[in-house]
Amino acid sequence: MIYEQPRFLPGGDRYILIEFGNEMNLDLNFMAQGLASAVAEAGISGIIETAPCFASLLVHYEPERISYHDVVRELSGLVGALGPSDDIKLPSRLFYFPTLYLDPWCAECVADYRARIADKVPDPELIVQENGLKDVNQFVQLHSSSEFWVASLGFWPGLPFLMPLDPRARFTAPKYNPPRTNTPQGAIGLGGAANSIYPVATPGGYQIFARTPVPIWDQSGVNPAFEGDLCLFRPGDRIRFIPVTREDYDAVAEQVAAGTYTYNVVEYQTFVVADYKRWLTKLNGKAKVQ
Amino acid sequence: MITVVKPGLETSIQDYPGRLGYWNQGFPPSGPMDSWSFRMANVLVGNAPGAAGLECQMLGPTLRFDRDMVIAVCGADMRPTLDGEPLPMWQSVPVKAGQELVMGAARVGARAYLAVAGGFANDERLGSRSTFHKAGVGGIDGHAIKAGQSLPVAEARGTPGLMVPPEARPAIRTDKVWDIEVCAGPNDDWIDAAGQERFLTADWRVSSKSDRTGFRLEGPEWTFAEKAYNKPPEHGSLPANIIDHGYPLGAINLAGQTPIILVNDGPSMGGFINPYTVPSAAFWKLGQTKPGEILHFRLVSVEQAQEMAAKLTRLCVRETLISA
Repeated sequence: MIYEQPRFLPGGDRYILIEFGNEMNLDLNFMAQGLASAVAEAGISGIIETAPCFASLLVHYEPERISYHDVVRELSGLVGALGPSDDIKLPSRLFYFPTLYLDPWCAECVADYRARIADKVPDPELIVQENGLKDVNQFVQLHSSSEFWVASLGFWPGLPFLMPLDPRARFTAPKYNPPRTNTPQGAIGLGGAANSIYPVATPGGYQIFARTPVPIWDQSGVNPAFEGDLCLFRPGDRIRFIPVTREDYDAVAEQVAAGTYTYNVVEYQTFVVADYKRWLTKLNGKAKVQ
Repeated sequence: MITVVKPGLETSIQDYPGRLGYWNQGFPPSGPMDSWSFRMANVLVGNAPGAAGLECQMLGPTLRFDRDMVIAVCGADMRPTLDGEPLPMWQSVPVKAGQELVMGAARVGARAYLAVAGGFANDERLGSRSTFHKAGVGGIDGHAIKAGQSLPVAEARGTPGLMVPPEARPAIRTDKVWDIEVCAGPNDDWIDAAGQERFLTADWRVSSKSDRTGFRLEGPEWTFAEKAYNKPPEHGSLPANIIDHGYPLGAINLAGQTPIILVNDGPSMGGFINPYTVPSAAFWKLGQTKPGEILHFRLVSVEQAQEMAAKLTRLCVRETLISA
């Protein structure tokens, strides 16, 4: 459900968690990001930073400069002024990622897990089963047709939690139990209802089915596409996974290694929640964002 | 410059309050775990309380000074010596070019802090010099210091002969039992009354699998309120699962049945509840706790926790110091 009034929950002496509801619902994330953007715009003295997640926003403040009650009062005011989620507009970059679906590296990683840790249905086939799809080709076709919304970043620096904007690409899958001890850098996976890209090779629990050669993490901090950051994404960005052949994948990987790859990003767009919902309505004849 | 002769167990450059402003990209603040001792060391040598210094964990480093400078060592007692002579702690001390500082295993406490007049002058990454070891960001090449490295130090004179009076130092426990303040929330209402009572009365042993990312605690089983069972399926299958949400620094994060206190290098978000949060003013105690020691938790209000933090900040200033 979406709460009528968001809940303000204290987290120690310098954090407040604001819950907008208790379900996975894009609308709740729009509200969290809308509030984050309103907080940044308001420039409230003593608020250090915010971090949106699926259905909530974490606010970090400095009690030496603003009291808990004043933070709650300021934020309540901003929530009130924000109005319904339909009114929210967020700057949103769109990234295109060359993607090799059903790639050999993820397949090898899964095979290794099945041989050493626990036998399981291979990840792409498991997603097909769990979501009543015809075959992996249908999954790839639907997955690569949607834009994905960066709902949140975290767990590992720069790791994006992605929600499909097209309801036809909305899939769920259980997480690995026990988790994998390794995942290829750039692997794309699904766990619960969230998709992600692994910024570096790490342990992981998502079902993995594709890989992009384009880095989303740059420790050197010199890649111009990152604009001074070490990770590529910000909450509210969008991603499209573009299926490529192995030859194209290798060609991009070579460009990345040579430092000549140019990120494919559209920077002039604003995400208008009302327009998005209108499109959804056309699509399925229902106004509610699921 | 300071040359690293031996690095110690995991010695890293940190500043305070660390790397703020990047929580929404998943970057933790890092910084010293015991910011009381850390700030005092800086104030002793004439630095701003948050200037970059060294955090020495469990086993300290051996360092050679390449020029004359003023230093201070605070926090855990690692029996520091300068060219073989005991070096007084909680004092600003002049050192000469070529002298060697040797720090051993922590006898009392777990983390010692070395400040040098001027502060360490490694490059800032995302606005901080702090080392975030897990992702290889900040510090020297992103990691703990290594033998043979030269640590850059900014030029500053510093005043030797100052001391932190005993009453202004953190009382590091020698009996292996700590009273740690906690605030209720954000998710205390997921725990039933018996579970809340149990949390506040039980002995919680700090596991050996504890580091700057999190302190894992061993203790009794948790019991949950109705809310933890009766929830939409997207929260996850365990009672302690919740739709992924942001984690406050200091959160007591309930990973299934294992509470983990998320500390300076911890994760920014995840899918477990945080029934309690350790406030910033109690972090120094965690920083001085060794694996195997026992924590008791004591409930304080948000306002009390904020007053404790303000008191510490008022204490960690030049005016507190006396002549040695």
